[in-house]
Amino acid sequence: MDNLLLSAPVIAQSVTSTMDSWDHLLLIALAAVAAFIPRYFPMRFFTKREIPEWFNEWMKYVPVSLFTALVVKGIFIDTATYSFHLFGHVNQIIAAVIVIIVTYMTRSMALSVLAGLAAVAIITFMM
Amino acid sequence: MPLCLSYLPIGLACGILLHAAGFNFFMTFLVSVVVFSGGAQFLIASLLTINAPLLSIVVTLFFLELRYALLGSSLSKYMRNQPQRFIWLFSVSLNDENYAINYLKFATDKNWTPRQALMVEHYSLISWALANLVGSLVGSAISINLEIVDFALTALFLYMIVMQVRNRLTLIIGLLSAVLAAVCLVATKSTIGIIISTLLASFVGFFIESRLRHTNTKAEKWMFGKVRGPAMTRKTIEEKNES
Repeated sequence: MDNLLLSAPVIAQSVTSTMDSWDHLLLIALAAVAAFIPRYFPMRFFTKREIPEWFNEWMKYVPVSLFTALVVKGIFIDTATYSFHLFGHVNQIIAAVIVIIVTYMTRSMALSVLAGLAAVAIITFMM
Repeated sequence: MPLCLSYLPIGLACGILLHAAGFNFFMTFLVSVVVFSGGAQFLIASLLTINAPLLSIVVTLFFLELRYALLGSSLSKYMRNQPQRFIWLFSVSLNDENYAINYLKFATDKNWTPRQALMVEHYSLISWALANLVGSLVGSAISINLEIVDFALTALFLYMIVMQVRNRLTLIIGLLSAVLAAVCLVATKSTIGIIISTLLASFVGFFIESRLRHTNTKAEKWMFGKVRGPAMTRKTIEEKNES
């Protein structure tokens, strides 16, 4: 049974997860702290004083850098071996282009994500 | 409220993924209330399924949430006279979409009060948590191709990138970050690569910007030339108010 599970990577990963519920609770607690600090402290400080220029200028580039890094990881990196595959997920590349076009035209988050999901589902089904 | 509706599909997908990552009903509810960030929750789910180490998940999350430092500090000028407790409440329920609404309201509507802004945030938090719960139930009831649902994360980030790109420099930094991310991920063989490449790319952006600001050359004009972006971003509202 174990061998059977391991031979199906996606299923095996969710079943043979090394974490139990307590680890999940710990993760949630740490995640809450990680979510809280950047939201609360800048707002608290800057309601009292002016925002320093360098902070603003640096912060401008953090989101864009992180988002592209995560997109690259999602589309081009095989997370089992951490190797680079330019055309490993052609379905996702095509869907990504569709998402960009829909975002450009509608500026709607929900529509963009839905269009992306629909595109990737249809393309995967056809391939 | 159209805002609440926009949370539903993404919340559903997020709930399904969290279920697949091993979160039960209660955990999903808890995480959607205390973290309240689509990107962060997707990231938790997708990093858990590849068994990434706990610390690496939390550090990546921290950088992901750093964008709220920018959003929060830009709203802070409207919160000058509010008590500490209010600022605390407001900042914990801050989110990308309710920020966009509130910023637009504050910038265009003189009668928009911080209290109304807080109500918008609470409504969005409720609809987000509910969507997550339903997703968690759906995930346990039927089996779905996870690779497809997982693409919701990529789509969400693509959306946020497109909304962020306002001038050529941002576009260049984005491309640079893409290359750096691929190199760092392959080199480090772990999710730490994401953090390293994010830091590198954002510092390069910061450095180029502060260099170009002080010289008035053609390069500056080209770098900060506008890219035809989606209309009415935060920047365009700011510029309209100044002129």
